This record gives sequence, structure tokens and C-alpha cells, in this order.
Amino acid sequence: MEIAKLMENKEPSFIYGIIGNINLISNYQNYSLVSYYCFNKTVKEYINNSKISQALKMVLLDDTYLNKTVSELSINEIKKVNLARALCQNKDYLVLDYFDKELNYQEKEYFKRLFKKIATDYHKTIIINTNDLNFIWNIAHELIVINKEEIKSFSKNDFSILDIVNKPPIIEFIDLLKDKNINIAYYKETADLLKAIYRLKE
Amino acid sequence: MLNIKINNININNKYTSILYNSYNFNNDISSLLNYNATIIDDLNKTSINTIPEDIITSFNCDYLLKTKDYTKIDEIKINILNNIILDKDIYVFLNVLTYTDYQFKTKVINYLKEKNKTIINYTTDIEEVLLLDYLILIYQDKIIIEGLTKEVLLEEKLFKKLGFNLPFIVDLSIGLKYYGLIDNISYTPESLVDKLWK
Repeated sequence: MEIAKLMENKEPSFIYGIIGNINLISNYQNYSLVSYYCFNKTVKEYINNSKISQALKMVLLDDTYLNKTVSELSINEIKKVNLARALCQNKDYLVLDYFDKELNYQEKEYFKRLFKKIATDYHKTIIINTNDLNFIWNIAHELIVINKEEIKSFSKNDFSILDIVNKPPIIEFIDLLKDKNINIAYYKETADLLKAIYRLKE
Repeated sequence: MLNIKINNININNKYTSILYNSYNFNNDISSLLNYNATIIDDLNKTSINTIPEDIITSFNCDYLLKTKDYTKIDEIKINILNNIILDKDIYVFLNVLTYTDYQFKTKVINYLKEKNKTIINYTTDIEEVLLLDYLILIYQDKIIIEGLTKEVLLEEKLFKKLGFNLPFIVDLSIGLKYYGLIDNISYTPESLVDKLWK
């Protein structure tokens, strides 16, 4: 699916989350697509930009990576190098294709903050394609679900999205409680659910 | 006794999750190639034509027969199915199950368990570690802790210190136990609901 067509008429400088079994392509010059690309050069040659050190720092790497090649990097690091390159390219649209895979919890939280900052402070539009609703639920301005050719959009607080996507474990658990006729709302965070259960049991 | 080498450590458990953060598993793979093993990654593309139809149906993948326009996730599922039908002793997943939905990955694991095969699942998805009973945690290329999954997951502080979270149901159970609402940790949603509202 051509990502630029999907973004037609969407407001810029926001984060958009895409959930769907789709392949993203981008042939437009103002889009950077960050995916798991392997490269033949060193990191320094591949990124080839005067702001490389700054970009590597932003993606949690450092200058010790400059002379490394793909064979010396983990998949996590290759993806981060590709993001650093995209940041150096400084295009209007940054498209992340399953970037969250290979990241641990702490890194996911860091990159969520980074993407928010890039959208807000640098007025970039961030498009995140993932199959993990948790990764985009709280940061996306709009969630776009693509099922074959059918496209549906949801605001981040619209829980009706749960009818058509794989439910996160917290929602599966709340559904089990609802099946037992326990009157409980949907929550996105474990801490909020914990408090709700505590109130119910009091 | 298999004595598989993971990060130069011998592992004898039949069902092992390897939870990692930024790990280059090339050395492990070289070692695993000495066994009758198949390595399943997200780079290989295989044909759906080699998968028996009953397998495709039992994994709810009939929709793949109706198209040739496959997405990355479709190709990963086809590759997984092509590999699990092979007659191997060890099935190694290189963070590929994480792209698939819970029902699919559960079926894959159960299918191999029924055939009494050894499973090694490299993953960055904390929820997946509950599918297998042994857990190795690798951080910055070193094994930090290993043991029975249910016991390792009780090391909450260690996980958080290294930047990992806990599976949702374990995390919630720990909170509920702290509040005195349950006596011990649950590892499945059903058991936790039963404990709370019998």
C-alpha cells in the first residue's frame, strides 16, 4: 500500500498508528521509510551525514558504531541505524515499519517519547505500522486499521477499535471479567486496572 | 540429553524461551546447525504449495490460498508452517512468532509440543515467555538469569532494572498480591479471575 495515498487529507505534525496485515511502500521524496534494511557499508558510510553522532545518540547508539558493518550488529541495532539515517534525512514524513519489534519495554517507552518530540517540536508526521496496539495506543493522534482494502480510522480513546484488532492481554482479561458479569470499564494501563479491581473488591 | 549451546552455555530443557535485548544470535545459530534443527527467521520466503491443506486449515490460514499478494506477516506465517512440517528434532524461532497473533503462535507451540519436539523461541515479546516452561534472559550479550519461567518471572526488580517489563498477567498478579487480594501469582488470566471471583 502506498503510504502517501493513505495519508492524503491527514493533518501533518501528528503521530498516526497503522494496524493491519499490509506491506507499506513509499515512492515519495518527502517520506523516509524505516524498516529492517541491511546495508553493505559501514554505519558511517551508510548514514553519510554531518549530524551522524547526534542522530546515533537519539536512537540510543553512539560513535563506537561508526565503523561497524551489518554483520557486527544485532537486528535491534540495524533498525536503530536505519532510524538514525532517516532522522538525518530530515524529511516531512517518517514511516516506521514494525520498528517496535526487537525493542524491550524501556526502549519502547523511550522511542514513544522521541516520536512525540519529533512530531511536536520538529513538526514531522510520524506513521507507525505495528501489530501491537499497546505500542501506539497512547501516542497516536489517530489509529488506522486496514483489513484488506477496507480502511477504518479511530481516535485514541475510541475503544470500538477492539472489535476489529487483536486485543492486548489487558483487554482480554477485562473481557473475561465482563463475561463473569463484573461491571468494569476498559483500561489501557495495568495500574489503572489494579485500582479498579481494588475498588470493586473493597 | 541435548546439551544445546546458547550463548556458550549448555541448555537441556525441551521448551526454552530466550528473552533478549539487542542480541546477535549468529554464534548460537552456528552451534545449533550441528543438530537436526530448523532455524525459522523472517527473511526466508517459502511457498505455500508445499504445505498440506489440512495444516493450512488447522492454523486458520485458508485466506492465504486465495491470494498471491502476500504481506510480510503472511510470508512469515507461510515460512513458519513450512518449517514446522519438517521432521526435525529442534525448532528454533528467531523472534518471528512476535509478528503473529496469539492464537496462531499458541497453535504452533502446541503442535510441536504434541509431536514432542524441542522448541527454542528467541523473542523480545515478554508475553511469549509464558508459552514455554524454561526462560533464559540475555542482556548486552550475557545470560543474566535462567531457570523455570515461573520462577524467573518472580525476579521483578531484576527485570525492571534491565528495562524489561513482566507479562501482563504476572504484573497484575504481583500488584493484587501486594494489595492482599490474592495469595499467590497467577500465570493465566483464567486462574486469576477464579482467584478473584470464585
